[in-house]
Amino acid sequence: MGRDGSTLAAAPTMSLLTIEGLFVHFGGVAAVDNVSFDLRQGEILGLIGPNGSGKTTVLNLLSGFLAPDSGCVRMGGKDITRMSAARLAQHGVLRMFQMTRVFTRMSAFDNLLTAGMARGLSEPESNKRAHALIEELTLGQVQYQDAGQLSGGQRKLLEFGMCFIEPPLIAMLDEPFAAVHPVMREVMAQFIRDRHAKGHTFLLVSHDMPIIVDLCQRAVCMNAGRVIAAGEIRSVLQNHDVIEAYLGNGETHLGQDHPPGLEVH
Amino acid sequence: MKPINNLWQERLRFDMWSALFIVAVIGLVPVVVSGPYALGIILVSVYFAILALGWNLLAGYTGQFSLAPAAFAMIGAYTTALLEHYWKIPLALGISAAIVVTALFGLALGKLVLNLSGPYLSLTTLAFAEIARVVIGNSHEFTRGDQGMHVATLTQNRLGYYYIFLLALVAVLSFIYWILKGKLGRFMMAVRDDPIGAESRGINVVRIKMIAFCASCSICGLAGSLYGTFSQLVSPELGLLQQTGLILSMVVIGGMGSLSGSILGAVMIYLGSEWLRGFGDIQMIVFALLVIVFARYIPGGIWGVMAARLQRRRP
Repeated sequence: MGRDGSTLAAAPTMSLLTIEGLFVHFGGVAAVDNVSFDLRQGEILGLIGPNGSGKTTVLNLLSGFLAPDSGCVRMGGKDITRMSAARLAQHGVLRMFQMTRVFTRMSAFDNLLTAGMARGLSEPESNKRAHALIEELTLGQVQYQDAGQLSGGQRKLLEFGMCFIEPPLIAMLDEPFAAVHPVMREVMAQFIRDRHAKGHTFLLVSHDMPIIVDLCQRAVCMNAGRVIAAGEIRSVLQNHDVIEAYLGNGETHLGQDHPPGLEVH
Repeated sequence: MKPINNLWQERLRFDMWSALFIVAVIGLVPVVVSGPYALGIILVSVYFAILALGWNLLAGYTGQFSLAPAAFAMIGAYTTALLEHYWKIPLALGISAAIVVTALFGLALGKLVLNLSGPYLSLTTLAFAEIARVVIGNSHEFTRGDQGMHVATLTQNRLGYYYIFLLALVAVLSFIYWILKGKLGRFMMAVRDDPIGAESRGINVVRIKMIAFCASCSICGLAGSLYGTFSQLVSPELGLLQQTGLILSMVVIGGMGSLSGSILGAVMIYLGSEWLRGFGDIQMIVFALLVIVFARYIPGGIWGVMAARLQRRRP
C-alpha cells in the first residue's frame, strides 16, 4: 500500500480499520462493552465521551497495549487484534499518549532520530526528516535540550514529530490539546490539517469540542464503555443521548455558540 | 552555528576519549609504582572496572537493575577452571568459552526474568546469584566447594597480567562503544527512559533488554575468567553479594550511564576500600552511605560533575 498522500486520499470512504464487538472487563466492570466502529482511510474520526467512558481503553486496545476479552480489529482485511504494540508501530499504527512519553534523557532532536530509526529508517534519512520536523513544529530553540526539560506542550509537539517521522497509516491521538498553550495548540491543529490534506488518517480523542468540530468529519461518542452514537459530526453532537451523557438533561446549543465541551469544563 | 546532527554520538565520543585517557593514565602507573602489592591493587581495580562497565551497560544505559554481575563473574571463572581441570582445555579457549557460557546463562535467565522490571527483576537476579553461589559451594565432588579450585595462569609475570587486564578493558570499552553508538544503543536508552514509549514507537523492548543482558553477562564472565587465571584460584567468594554491592557503588558514585564514570568509580572505590581495610569492616557502610547520597543528590556521579565542567569550557 502506498504511503504517500495521493493514493490514500483517492479512496476516502474505504474502511482502513474495522473494529468489531470489542469487550474488555476490568474485574466485574465492562470497561469496553461491545464496541464496534470503523475508521475510514483519510478521515479524522473524533472519539468523544465523558471522563471514564472508555476512550483511552479503546486506544489501548487498538494500539496493542491491551488485549480484548473478545472481539476483533482488522486493518485492510488483516486481523491485528493481538499484535504487540511494537509490531503495530512497525506496521504504521502509531499512537500518542495523554501523558506524553518521550525519552527524557535524550535531546529533543535525538528523540526524533531514535523514533525514525525505530521505524526502520536509516540514520541519514532520520536526520534529514528530524531537521524538517523540528522546523515545522517550532522546536528549534529547544532541540538540543533533554526532552525531560521541555514543557508539556513542547513534549506533545515532540511526540507528534516522533509519530510522523515516518508517516503512519493511522495516527491515534489521545487528548493532544489538553493543557496546551493556545499558540502550540494552533501549531498542532495546523499539523493535523496539513497531514489530513495529504491523506493521512487520524483517530482523535478529545474533550475540546470546538477543535473536534473544526477538524473531524465523523465522530463516535462513548459512554460507560458503550458506543452511544456514531456518524457525521453534527448529527452526533445533536444526538439526544450524547447531550444527556455530557450535560445531563436540558436544553443546549450544541455545535453552535457554546459547544458542550466548554460548558462541561 | 553549525547544526549538530547527532548530539548523543557527540556526547558518547567525548566520553569514550575521556575513558581512553583514563586507561592511558592507568597504563602509565607501572612507571612510577613498581611494588607487586601496589600493582596488584590497581590490577584488581581494573578487574572491577570491566565488571562496572558490564553492569553499567545493563543498568546505566538500559535501565535494568540486575543484582547478579558478581555471580556471572564467578560462573565465567568456574567455566575456565572446570574446562581446564577436567578436559585440559587450553586457557585461551577456556576464556573464550567463559564468554559464551555466561552469555548462554544470561539468555536462559533473561528468558525468565526480562518480562519483569524494576524491583522484581532485581530480586529475581539476586535469587539467581545466591542460588548459583550456594550450588557451586556445595558441589564438593565437582567444584571442590568452598575450598576453591586451582587454575593455570597465563603468565607468572605480574606486569604482564597488568597489561592483559588493560587490554581486556580496552576491548570491552570498544565493544560497548560500538554497541552504544549505533541503533542498538539508542534503543537501549529509549527502553531505559520509557519502556512503554519505546514499545509504542516500534522497539521490541524485551529483545533489546535481552541483548543488553547477554552482553552484560558475557563481559562479567570474561572479567571473572581472567581474574581466576590471575589469582590461580577460583572460589564461590567471587560471587558474593558484597562484590555486587561494590560494583554497584562504583557505577553509581563514578557515574551511571557513562563509560569514563564506570572506570573512574571502579578505581576510586577499590583504592578506597583497600585504604579503609585498615579500619575494619566499615567499607560497605561507607560506600552504602555514599551511594545513597549520590543517587539522591548527584545522579550523574563524579563523572557527571566533571564532564559538565569540562564541556562548558569547550567552545
